[in-house]
Amino acid sequence: MKRKYELVYVVSPDATDAQIADLHAQVEAIAQRLGGVIEKTDNWGRRRLAYEIGPHKEGTYVLELIEGGGELMKEIDRRFKVTDLIIRHLVVRVDEEQTVIDRTRTKRSETSRRRRIARGLPPDRAPGEGQREIDDDRDDRFDMTEVER
Amino acid sequence: MNGGGKRSFGSGGGGGRGKPAHGAAAAQGKDGQRRPMFRRRKVCKFCAEKIDDINYKDTKLLMPFVPERAKILPRRISGTCAMHQRKLRTAIMRARQLALIPYTAE
Repeated sequence: MKRKYELVYVVSPDATDAQIADLHAQVEAIAQRLGGVIEKTDNWGRRRLAYEIGPHKEGTYVLELIEGGGELMKEIDRRFKVTDLIIRHLVVRVDEEQTVIDRTRTKRSETSRRRRIARGLPPDRAPGEGQREIDDDRDDRFDMTEVER
Repeated sequence: MNGGGKRSFGSGGGGGRGKPAHGAAAAQGKDGQRRPMFRRRKVCKFCAEKIDDINYKDTKLLMPFVPERAKILPRRISGTCAMHQRKLRTAIMRARQLALIPYTAE
């Protein structure tokens, strides 16, 4: 069964570009060995950490979108746990959530189309028609300034 | 110097007025009323803006829900609906793991 996973790892700021590339190559090798495919790689670059992890205050974030089985992710997880260069990593399964999101989106647009047809309007909303976009100064929403108690 | 102090005090009062709850709290202390001010209806941000995907990578979206102490803002204050609060919670917890969002301040 094919599943999609997101893997984010934070590499120590002392790591060189070559070392980061090497980590990526490691992931690729494991994926290939266990029948997975890397769909996308995204390097977010150096970012400040929200809190200090050991001696580190910064880290390089890398995101990989991997298609493969659970065994593959288990192996990557195990490998990353023992790699000193990686200070944090996170594996999240994304395919199920994505289908749910897509379903709610299509459902919403379908109901709006159905209702519009029932009202005798063209199915798609023309630009500038209908409810105006939500402004940030509309005051019935939470705006972070309100503090209770 | 004295004038400067007064002015700063005045501006501080103005800032307080900008936040409705501050005024409400002060009124409550003075008059002893139970519901001194009209409370605006709260709407779930994610329902209102039709945000389907609460993602842990989207720090900009999550930050308003973790105020200064970096604790997750309760539903009774933000007005988020139960479903979205649950999703928000998992997203915040994932973001914390990756040091995108702090666990606590200081």
